[in-house]
Amino acid sequence: MSEPLIELEHVGIAFSAQRRVGSGKFWALEDVSLSLRRGERLGVIGRNGAGKSTLLRVLAGILRPDRGSMRRGAVSCQLLSLALGFTPHLTGRDNAILSGLMIGLRHRDIVARLPAIREFSELGDFFDQPIASYSSGMVMRLGFSVAMQAEPDVLLIDEVLAVGDAEFQEKSGAALRERMRHGHTVVLVSHDEKQVAALCDRLLWIEHGRSVLEGDRDSVFEAYHRELHVAAPLS
Amino acid sequence: MRLHVLELIRFSTYAELRAERSRSYLGLIWWVAEPAMMMAAFWLVFAVILKTGGPDYLPFLLIGLTVWQWMKSCITHGGYAIWTNLGLIRQARLPILVFPFVQMLADTIKFLYIFGLLLVILWVAGYPPHAAYIALPIVFAVTLLFAAGAGFLVAAVVPLIPDLRFVIEQVLTVVMFLSGVVFALDQVPSPLREVIALNPVATLLDATRGILMRGDWPNWLALLKVSLISALVCAIGIGCVLRLSPRYPKLAV
Repeated sequence: MSEPLIELEHVGIAFSAQRRVGSGKFWALEDVSLSLRRGERLGVIGRNGAGKSTLLRVLAGILRPDRGSMRRGAVSCQLLSLALGFTPHLTGRDNAILSGLMIGLRHRDIVARLPAIREFSELGDFFDQPIASYSSGMVMRLGFSVAMQAEPDVLLIDEVLAVGDAEFQEKSGAALRERMRHGHTVVLVSHDEKQVAALCDRLLWIEHGRSVLEGDRDSVFEAYHRELHVAAPLS
Repeated sequence: MRLHVLELIRFSTYAELRAERSRSYLGLIWWVAEPAMMMAAFWLVFAVILKTGGPDYLPFLLIGLTVWQWMKSCITHGGYAIWTNLGLIRQARLPILVFPFVQMLADTIKFLYIFGLLLVILWVAGYPPHAAYIALPIVFAVTLLFAAGAGFLVAAVVPLIPDLRFVIEQVLTVVMFLSGVVFALDQVPSPLREVIALNPVATLLDATRGILMRGDWPNWLALLKVSLISALVCAIGIGCVLRLSPRYPKLAV
């Protein structure tokens, strides 16, 4: 088995409870451990407020653990964020370049992909108009088309599997599933169990900021559902 | 990695200037109109009403306000840059110094345009170019270093205590009056004048005015002192930003 790309050991993340001098801390993550290997598709499940999104931000390198340790090889991890850095008064084209640079692409690479972004986002001539004139659906379509261009070693996805109207939802969902199937290392946070079951081969279950169980998909789902007292919907 | 950050800085600066241009109806005209209106107000008060200006007051004021506005923009825009970008900082891993730096760079580019216009006005008004102009880039480099240092210090703290913004605006107004931006420091009584003269901003404005109005070479020793202070302030400012950077992604927007 290959070396883990990322390893967390008993990681905790504390936030200030309030913006006041001397306010107390609360631990959004208390004690989470995981290891991620190349090519793995790891799903993170747990109830609302379990710390799933905070965990993704730790993996992305945005939050530094306040306790525990994190080992990461020389790999790039990118949180899939729609419309990152978008500025209303800039054109769709300029926003695509700016956002592309922010998700780690080189300028020449993002410029080379502009025709594909324009095509996928279905913006037509609006591509060269300020995005202040866009509908929210158009902004999301552009945001998704740019975000899909990121090529990190590890792709981190938080619930954004489909955006826009029904037709674009299908198209964007399909594009993302296609990316995930092609041997990318992915960590996916989602409430949609069917989605997680279809896309992930391993699962991490966290509850109240603590990792409860990490293992293969079926056994973790089984334990999770036993805990929730519901019948496993997986066939 | 490094090239990528440079590309990000370059394009973000372009985007900042471009967005600023399209945010208002008159766009670029405000780059000049805004400082011009401010200069008119001070000229009215000090030269027309109080008659304390003296013969060279108009160029004195023009130079002082142009340079001071540049410094102030770097300190406030750069200083608030991390705070205004907290939403982005929570979502993506980006080198934190990029945010204040981009603002300072954009303000410096704006300043250079306005300064070009100022030079034309000075030539027309009878203050021709002089060999001492060669020293201008050095004086401006030190000015930027000082303003950037102050900007980084502000940038480090404002995200943690946003209320400081209200204080900073007032402090900067006081600094402006204590730096000889709008009136010559010779008018200040003696013991106080020597204290005010220690202010690095006063030294920098003095050097710029000397070059542009009289063709004087700067006082190199004073300039060296200011550049050492500026380098120190800059190092402390950057150090504070880097030291506090793990806390920014955790702050509420």
